[in-house]
Amino acid sequence: MLEKFTFMQAEIARRPYLQRLGALFSETVLVQIDDQEFYLTFDKGQLVDLAQGISRKTPWTFAIRTDAEALSEFWTARPKPGFHDIFGLVKLGRGRIDGNILTLVKNLRFFKDVMALPREMQEAAQ
Amino acid sequence: MTIEPICGRYLTVQIDGTPQRIYFEEAGQGRPVICLHTAGADTRQWRHLMNTPEVTGRHRLIAFDMPWHGKSLPPEGFQTQEYLLQTDAYIKTVLAVIDGLGLENPILAGCSMGGRIALQLAALHPDKFSGFIAIEASDFQPAWYDIDWFHRPDAHGGEMGAALVSANISPYAPEAERWNTLWMFMQSGPGVFRGDLNFYTKDDSLIARLPMIDTAKTPVHIIVGAYDLTCTPEDAKRTADQIPGATLAVMDELGHFPMSEHPDGFLPFFRHGLSLM
Repeated sequence: MLEKFTFMQAEIARRPYLQRLGALFSETVLVQIDDQEFYLTFDKGQLVDLAQGISRKTPWTFAIRTDAEALSEFWTARPKPGFHDIFGLVKLGRGRIDGNILTLVKNLRFFKDVMALPREMQEAAQ
Repeated sequence: MTIEPICGRYLTVQIDGTPQRIYFEEAGQGRPVICLHTAGADTRQWRHLMNTPEVTGRHRLIAFDMPWHGKSLPPEGFQTQEYLLQTDAYIKTVLAVIDGLGLENPILAGCSMGGRIALQLAALHPDKFSGFIAIEASDFQPAWYDIDWFHRPDAHGGEMGAALVSANISPYAPEAERWNTLWMFMQSGPGVFRGDLNFYTKDDSLIARLPMIDTAKTPVHIIVGAYDLTCTPEDAKRTADQIPGATLAVMDELGHFPMSEHPDGFLPFFRHGLSLM
């Protein structure tokens, strides 16, 4: 799973439009997949740190929690209905979003575009 | 070079004593079809169908921008008003446009909040129409989000609204049309999407009115996309089940803005809907 986030990191770095969209986004986001935790720290839209492992000491602004199967479907090029969007995962009962939702909503396009980047990894592998 | 057959004009009508200058555009000849846009958007959502000879050869498609939307300015004094769309004013606006344009028993095709008001009109004013195509339409959906997110001084409501509604667009939608669809939300005036959502997420008066709809006099056809998270196929089916005689079609590869996000995919469903009217 870590390779998905390192791919994300590299893709953000080479896409000026994402850096523009994320210019005011300097937050840590927790992505929890089953019992695995990934802390993604952004600084002005750049993904500057990736930390894996359960931590009670790492503060985060908002968290998205889902399961590996749902996230795998989310990252296909054409996910099934509901699996195509982070809010769809929540609606299906396969995801949960906690924390400062307003910060997420203010940066929603940036964060959604970032979360969708591994779809291109899947496409490249096919 | 291409010049499209769509023509736009303005109509001024009185709604509750207030003059509203309404932009409308049309294309085609034949049976009139009034087309209603979704929340936070405008008539451009219908431009593909208006450029489709298979539709306009037999139908006169007329779409208009609700006041505060697209090229319809808000009313005088808007700068100190809070825009909150209400069912009664929405109904009066649709009826005023129909009367103002002298249309006799048009078909009404509306999407999302336009589909919701289509069903309200089917219940309350069926004599004014010959049938209803209610797209992504359901009885009621409370908001799972805070509608105030989309009108605040420290963020761009249009961009946030576009990012939110992108959840309702199918991954089968052509990329260009996905973004054209979202652009309309990005352009939406301050507080307009929030004001539309006030109608869509707070007024549940349609639920009790659904059984009043007489489909023997005015047919009702509901169309819903499988990728619509706002009005799901389950929501649309629950609604259709409450209207005796209503028909329902589910589009497996489309979302909440079918005429805009994926016009080619929507065309056969829309033509089928017209054939039932």
